[in-house]
Amino acid sequence: MKDQSRREFLRNFILGATTLAAQPILASCSVKPMAETQLPAETVAITEISPTESTTEFATEAQNQYPYLVVARGTDAEQLVRQGMLAMGGMERFMKAGADVIIKPNICIGYYSYEYAATTNPWVVAALVKMCLEAGAKRVRVMDYPFGGTGEQCYKNSGIADLVTAAGGEMEVMSELKFVEQKIPNAVRLKRASIYQDVLTTDLLINVPIAKSHSMAKLTLGLKNLMGTMLNRESIHPSFEQNLVDLATVVRPQLTIIDAIRTLMANGPTGGDLNDVKLQNTLIFSHDVVAADSYATRLFEKTPEYLPYVLKAAERGLGKADLTGLTIQEINVDA
Amino acid sequence: MPDHKNLKKVSNGWVIARKLTQVLSLVLFILAVLFSRQNGLPSNLVDFTVRLSPLAMASHLLSSKTFLAGSALSLILLISSLFFGRAWCGWLCPLGTILDLFKFSKHKNRRQPSETLRKIKYGLLILVLLSALFGNLTLLFFDPLTIFVRSTTLTILPAMDRIIFAVEKLLIKIPFMSKPVFAFDSWLRPDILPSTAPSIQYAFLVGFFFASLILLNLIAERFWCRYLCPLGALLGIPSRLAFFQRRTKALCSECGICSNNCPTDTIDSHNKYQSDPSECTLCMNCLESCQKNSLSFTPKWQPSASRPYDLNRRHFLTSVGISIFSVAVLSFDWIKNKAKSFLLRPPGVDDESQFLSTCIRCGICLKVCPTQALQPDFSESGLEGAWTPILVPRNGFCDFGCNSCGENCPVQAIPSLTIDNKRQAKIGQAYIDQDRCLAWSDHINCIVCEEMCPIPQKAITLEYGKHTLTDGSQVEIMLPVVNRESCIGCGTCENKCPVQGDAAIRVYTI
Repeated sequence: MKDQSRREFLRNFILGATTLAAQPILASCSVKPMAETQLPAETVAITEISPTESTTEFATEAQNQYPYLVVARGTDAEQLVRQGMLAMGGMERFMKAGADVIIKPNICIGYYSYEYAATTNPWVVAALVKMCLEAGAKRVRVMDYPFGGTGEQCYKNSGIADLVTAAGGEMEVMSELKFVEQKIPNAVRLKRASIYQDVLTTDLLINVPIAKSHSMAKLTLGLKNLMGTMLNRESIHPSFEQNLVDLATVVRPQLTIIDAIRTLMANGPTGGDLNDVKLQNTLIFSHDVVAADSYATRLFEKTPEYLPYVLKAAERGLGKADLTGLTIQEINVDA
Repeated sequence: MPDHKNLKKVSNGWVIARKLTQVLSLVLFILAVLFSRQNGLPSNLVDFTVRLSPLAMASHLLSSKTFLAGSALSLILLISSLFFGRAWCGWLCPLGTILDLFKFSKHKNRRQPSETLRKIKYGLLILVLLSALFGNLTLLFFDPLTIFVRSTTLTILPAMDRIIFAVEKLLIKIPFMSKPVFAFDSWLRPDILPSTAPSIQYAFLVGFFFASLILLNLIAERFWCRYLCPLGALLGIPSRLAFFQRRTKALCSECGICSNNCPTDTIDSHNKYQSDPSECTLCMNCLESCQKNSLSFTPKWQPSASRPYDLNRRHFLTSVGISIFSVAVLSFDWIKNKAKSFLLRPPGVDDESQFLSTCIRCGICLKVCPTQALQPDFSESGLEGAWTPILVPRNGFCDFGCNSCGENCPVQAIPSLTIDNKRQAKIGQAYIDQDRCLAWSDHINCIVCEEMCPIPQKAITLEYGKHTLTDGSQVEIMLPVVNRESCIGCGTCENKCPVQGDAAIRVYTI
């Protein structure tokens, strides 16, 4: 065979590269292949991640100084957040000035406004944005990965986009690019998942779920809200409880605030009927997502045993499901 | 022949003005398509892209027998052709501009195709209009504006989107590149491109057609515009009378330079370098290259002479015959109604045959659909329904909070419904395949279809069943059941079903 001249080499190289680059075009010619909804193949770069230690640090140090749980009741959403956080030790307890903050509400659909209690109360989210900025946050981003509609649409219809932007926060539509395949160390079942990388690297992750009914989880609260940080959540429904706890070992919010101002008592998580909505005017604060979930079952007249995944999470050492002996401060904001 | 190397270029600004107008117009058309989306541009600013076409609007009028106020926009083109001939083609048409970008001048074929080929476009025009009269709009596939919208929407933008995504995905692996790439990505999505690149079925067919139009330029410049374009033919007829048309003066030295520079090759060297106003696109190349200043576009009412390639009675009758035959064949049941299980039309479309004779196949609904549930059809509704929109739930579900397709349809083939009415509009009916369902068949709790069902009281409910495992222990299984009355066939369940391949719950035609 004749040696290749440089020109030939370059030509062949460019040809080859173009052919490779053209594959996405071919891919776009067909309907989305089902392979995409499975967990990505091994070829994706896999990064080891270690769970943040901060939660446990807070747990030990916090027990003396601050209540383990704060339950605030009242009608003014912003005051609920402010008074509740004050009791928790202020936003400064959770962040330093210049911190990069991500707030993760539940904005799962774009079908209804906040009244239908399928999405987190916008005033609660906006109040958190303000408090983070007041505490000197460099940037406060609010995001969720909805299953019912595009991010833009859901952000807008939930009413969250308007209030957050006005409060000085940023609404970030979660880009597929930032979902990175992660190995989950010590996982029982969910050995890897595509998780939004900023959620893992941010200085402060605030988990702001809305309390509502759900056929499989029974109730969707703080732990379940973490599912909005991963791709392909449909695929984890079989053996749901184990998968959810595995996910919670790596996605670890430093602060969880359960929005139970309006709770969706039936036909969740999507809702759509105001008769299913119950006004409870309550917010639950804790650094421990498991404890917050555990307490929230009371609003549905249940005990933590009603939610097997909460017990499983406690068994794995992610937090406390048994609230006996913990300091719970209840405050009434209207009084 | 004069020495081509020493030609003086008479720059009078007309060619520059034309090129600038072309680019500006193309950019406007692309922006209109790019930003047509849910909560995007107002529908009027999107719909003009196809409402400008008198071919599409006349066909719609003939076929649906209803007059749309918005279609009056297309009269602008028809009336302007009485003054400026086919200036639309040379100055504004986005497809024409794209064809101008691909001149392949190196491969310029000295021998031009036969003049009689110019007949084809008139034949096609008769075919399109007559078929429309019989209620068939399949051939609007050939309208240049629908070609432009369809090709950008279904092939060019999605391909570009995917290439950008693939490159980004590669670049973020380089450590120092990841930050700027993420910054670029968050600037790009979702403001300019959608957050997830759309997947389009049969995109390659649209792309293939578009590429062949460009490749035809290898045979002759603007091959499509000269010989095939039915809109060009429609505008060409009033252009005979054009007020402003190219006229040669007596001092022409017959040097032949103008005829070499003519993109539609209509300057006839055998006939004193005169041209046919129904072929001339007023590109002004000849004006700029004329060494003697011997031609002008001065205003004058003087219809042009007839041409040897004008359609005669025989050709006209042949076209009529072909259109009757093809409309009849296309409506044969064995092609049209073969596989109807999944013929799911956009929300609010009730009457299939009325839909087929109203939809102009422009593809705007496919662009605005935020989940890309709407896909161009090529199999479910037969040849007659080629490129009409159907719902493919496995690809995307009909968003419960969205009514964009109806709001943006330029011809109201998809009715414009309020959100509340759209939520009542039944698209199809979901059925569970109990042999494949994880809960029914494999005794695994799944409930995704029930969870995601957007109906307020859930059109999918769960029955509780007991299943005995091999070790004798019992597990409680939640079994999904569809409620026929409240299911609207939005396809959310089919879309989200975690079963591999075809979903275990599917939406069927009602």
